[in-house]
Amino acid sequence: MAIANETYPDVTVHDTMPKLLAQHAKAHPGDVWLREKDLGIWISYTFADVQQRVRDITLGLTTLGVARGDVIGLLGDNRPEWLMGEIAAHALGGMSLGIYRDALGDEVAYLVTYADVAVVFAEDEEQVDKLLSLDEKIPTVRHIVYSDPRGIRKYDDPRLISLKELEKRGAEVAARDASAYDRLVSAGKGDDVAILCTTSGTTSHPKLAMLTGGAVLKHCRAYLDMDPRTAADEYVSVLQMPWIMEQIYAFGQALISRMKVNFVEEQETLMADMREIGPSFVLFAPRVWEQIAADVRSRMMDSSAFKRAMFDIGMKLGLKALDQGRRSPLADFILFRALRDRLGFSHLKSAATGGAALGPDTFRFFLALGVPMRQLYGQTELLGAYTLHKAEDVDFDTVGVPFDGVEIRIDDPDPNGLGEVVTRHANMFTGYFRNAEETAKSFAEEGWMRTGDAGFFNTKGHLVVIDRIRDMAKTSHGDRFSPQYIENKLKFSPYVAEAVVLGDGRDSLAALICIRFSIVSKWAEKNRISFTTYTDLSARPEVIELLRKEVEAVNRTLPEKQRIGRFLLLYKELDADDGELTRTRKVRRGVINERYGTIIDAMYAGQKVIDVDTTITFQDGTRQRIKTKLDVIDLGAPRPVNDDTKRRAA
Amino acid sequence: MSLPAASAEAAKGVSALLDVQNISLRFGGLKALSDVSFHVRPSELFSIIGPNGAGKTSMLNCISGRYTPSEGRVVFDGADVTRLKPNRRAEIGIGRTFQNLALFSHMSVLDNIMVGRHHLLKNNFLTGALYWIGGAQKEELEHRRKVEEVIDFLDIQHVRKATAGTLSYGLRKRVELARAVALEPKLILLDEPMAGMNLEEKEDMARYIVDLNEEWGMTIVMIEHDMGVVMDISHRVMVLDFGRKIADGLPAEVLANEHVRKAYLGEEDPLLEDETAAAPLPEMRSA
Repeated sequence: MAIANETYPDVTVHDTMPKLLAQHAKAHPGDVWLREKDLGIWISYTFADVQQRVRDITLGLTTLGVARGDVIGLLGDNRPEWLMGEIAAHALGGMSLGIYRDALGDEVAYLVTYADVAVVFAEDEEQVDKLLSLDEKIPTVRHIVYSDPRGIRKYDDPRLISLKELEKRGAEVAARDASAYDRLVSAGKGDDVAILCTTSGTTSHPKLAMLTGGAVLKHCRAYLDMDPRTAADEYVSVLQMPWIMEQIYAFGQALISRMKVNFVEEQETLMADMREIGPSFVLFAPRVWEQIAADVRSRMMDSSAFKRAMFDIGMKLGLKALDQGRRSPLADFILFRALRDRLGFSHLKSAATGGAALGPDTFRFFLALGVPMRQLYGQTELLGAYTLHKAEDVDFDTVGVPFDGVEIRIDDPDPNGLGEVVTRHANMFTGYFRNAEETAKSFAEEGWMRTGDAGFFNTKGHLVVIDRIRDMAKTSHGDRFSPQYIENKLKFSPYVAEAVVLGDGRDSLAALICIRFSIVSKWAEKNRISFTTYTDLSARPEVIELLRKEVEAVNRTLPEKQRIGRFLLLYKELDADDGELTRTRKVRRGVINERYGTIIDAMYAGQKVIDVDTTITFQDGTRQRIKTKLDVIDLGAPRPVNDDTKRRAA
Repeated sequence: MSLPAASAEAAKGVSALLDVQNISLRFGGLKALSDVSFHVRPSELFSIIGPNGAGKTSMLNCISGRYTPSEGRVVFDGADVTRLKPNRRAEIGIGRTFQNLALFSHMSVLDNIMVGRHHLLKNNFLTGALYWIGGAQKEELEHRRKVEEVIDFLDIQHVRKATAGTLSYGLRKRVELARAVALEPKLILLDEPMAGMNLEEKEDMARYIVDLNEEWGMTIVMIEHDMGVVMDISHRVMVLDFGRKIADGLPAEVLANEHVRKAYLGEEDPLLEDETAAAPLPEMRSA
C-alpha cells in the first residue's frame, strides 16, 4: 500500500477534477486513460486527448452562456463523452447532475426543473426524444447537447446542438484566447459544490446530495488506502454513471490513480468486452454476482460429462481448500484458471459487492474461484462506501471496517449493541440541494449523519448491517432483530422456499419454514425416503433433520440473541393467492399472524407436537381437509434462565 | 385499369427510381401477375400489400431478377433491367431480403454480412495471396469498417461473432437485413421483414426501416402483412389481389378504397370476377 501512496498526486493541491486532469495531461500526456469500443475496435484516449476535448467542451459551453453556478445535466449510457462533459461542467464552475438513463420522462422533468438545469448532455436519439417530448415541462433547459447524431437530423428544435459543433466553437475560443480554460480551472476551488448526486428515493422524489470536488477526491484517496490501484490497473465502467459508486471509481479514483477506464460497446456485449479487457477491479450488485454464478452452473449442465466431472471435482477441491484457508493448485489447474478467463476475471486484484446481502454460497463460490471478493457499505450522502473488508480479513456476514478518518457510532443501542448506524467523516455531503429541512433531519449533531440503518459492531470490530431501522422488531427483553434479515439468510438455503421469523414482543425467536418442494423432493428420492404430498414430505423426520441443520447453520452466523429458538415446517407453501405473500413475494406478517395464530401460540406455549385439522381451498375451488401433526423443533438456543416457557417445554 | 392510378400517373413527373411497366408473369396456365404497373420515386418507402397468393413475392422476384416476367418491362434508374441476371442487378444497386431466411447458417454473422459486399471487393483469390502487397488487407479493413457501421446501426454487436444458425429468428431477420444493407443498394426490397416477430421486435424493425429510409436515404420496397405497420411508416402503398393491382396511393387513400376492403374482407368484387379463371386456385389462398 505504501508503494502506491507515493505515486498519487496530492489531492489537497489538485483539489478539483479538472485540476487533476490538467496535472496528468502535463505529466503523462501520452498515457492512455480512457478506452471505448466502437465499431468493434477499442479506441483509446490519452490524458492529452481528454484534456483537449474537456477544454473545448468547457469553452463551448461558455459560448452558450453557461456560467459558474449553473447546473449541467447528463443523460445516457456510460461513454467517454459523459465523463468529459461532467469534468467540463466542473471546470466551468458548474454542478453536474447525472440522470439515470432509464429514468422516465416525468422523473427527468422533476429533476431538471428542480435543479434549474440549463444544459443537458443527451447521448443519443432515445434521450433527446425523451427531453423533446417533455416540451414545456422543462422550461429551464436552454440547450441540449447530443453526441450521437443518428436520427436527430430530422429535428429542428433550436435548443439542439451537437457535441461536435460545441467542441468546434470551444476550439475557436481556445485559438483566440489560449489561457481561457486555465483561468476557469484555477478559479475553481475544492470547496465548490461540483456534483449533485441523486439519492435512491424509494418512497418519494429523489433528493440531491451536494458533493464538493475536494471532498470526493479526498474520500477517494481514503478508499485507495484500503484498496490501492495504480496506472496499470484496468476498470470497466458498467455501473450506472449517476450512481455515487461509479462517480467514485470512474471519476475520483481513476483521476487519482490514473487507472484506465474502459467503456463497453453495448450493454449486451458487456461480458465479452470485459473479457477482452480483463479488469483488475469490479463492483457488482449481489444479484449480478448471483446471476453470473447461476449462468456458470446452468452452462455446466449443458456441457459434456467430462467437463461436468472436472467442474465437480474442481469445485469440491476449491471449497475444501477455502475452508482450510489455502488454495488448491489442482483445482486451479483443472477448473478455476479457465473459468476465470471465461468470465474475464483473470486479472482481478479486487472485487466488491454491496447494497444487499450476498448469499454465502455465492460468496464462497467466488472466493474459491479466486475472485478476491469483499463487501462494502455506504450511502450517497457519505460519498458512497466508507466501510470495506480488509483484503486479509473477509467475513461475509459483515461489511468490514471503516476507512481511515471515518467515525461510526451506534445510537440508541439495545442490550446487544444493535442500534442505528450514525456516521461522520471529513468529506461528507454538504447538504441536500435546496432542501434545508431534509438536510437538518438527516443530521444527528455536529456532522453526524443518521443512516436509518440498523447495525452493530461484532467482536472483531467489523460493522454488521442488518436492515432499515424502521423494519426492526423487538423481543420482550428489548433485543432488536430484523425478521427479514434472518428470513433472507434462511432462504439462501436451497431447501427453504419461504420463512417467517416471529418474535416481536415475545421472549424468543421462532420460525415457520416452508420447504422448497422441488428440491427437497429430489433430495428425498435420492435418499430413498418415501412420501406422498407436500404435507407428508414436510412431516418426514429425515426432512426435519435436514432443515434443522440448515437452521443451525444460519444460527451460527447470528448474534446470540437473534438466533432462532424453535421452528416448525409448515404443512403448506405460503401463497400470494392466499394473501400470505405480496405479489413481489414479501411476507405479509399480519395475515400470517392471524391465519396461523393458533399454531404460533401453541409453539410459544411450548407444545412439542401441534395437531392441525384444517381445510385449504385451491384456486379451482376444490377443498382439501388437512389433518396432520406438526413437530416443533427446539434448538435450545440460549434464553434467559428464568424463562418459564423453557421449563415447561423441557 | 382505370383505378385510382390517376394520382400516381400525375406524380410520375418526378423521375422514378424504379418503373415497373405492365408486368405479367405466367407459370404455365397459372397467371401470377397480370399487367401490373407502378413506380417508386427516389427516397420513397413503398409497400406492397395483399392477401396470401396475391403475387407480392412474385412481383419482388421480377424486380430482383429471380423471375423473368412474361410480358412488360422493369426500368431501374433509367435502364431497362428486365432481362438482367440477379447478380448484375445487385451490382447496379438492388438489394433484397427473403421471406424465408436465406443466411449461411454455419457462417458467423460478420461473414454473412461481409458476403453482402462481395461484389464491391476487387481482390480475388490470387491477389489475396499477396495479402499485404496486393492491397487486400487495406481493402478488407475498409469493408470491415462499413460492415461494422451496419452492425452498429442494427444493434447486433453482441452477436457479431456468433454462428448465424444459432440465433433467434428475430435476430436472424436483422442479420439478413444487415447483409442487404451492406450491399449499399440504392433500392432495397424487403420481403415480409416482420413476419413471425413479436410486438417488440416489430417495433424495433419498423424503427430500423424508417431510419434506413430517412437517415441512410435508401429507397425501400416492402412487402408486409401487418397493416398497422404498413400504414404507419409507408409513403405510398400498392394493393395486389389475384395478381392484379387493385389500388395504389397514400396509405389513407388505400385504406378508404372499396376494392381493398373487399379483398381483405373476402367479399365478391365484380372487378375481379372475369379474372378468377386465370387466378391462383382458391385453395391456394389461405387468407
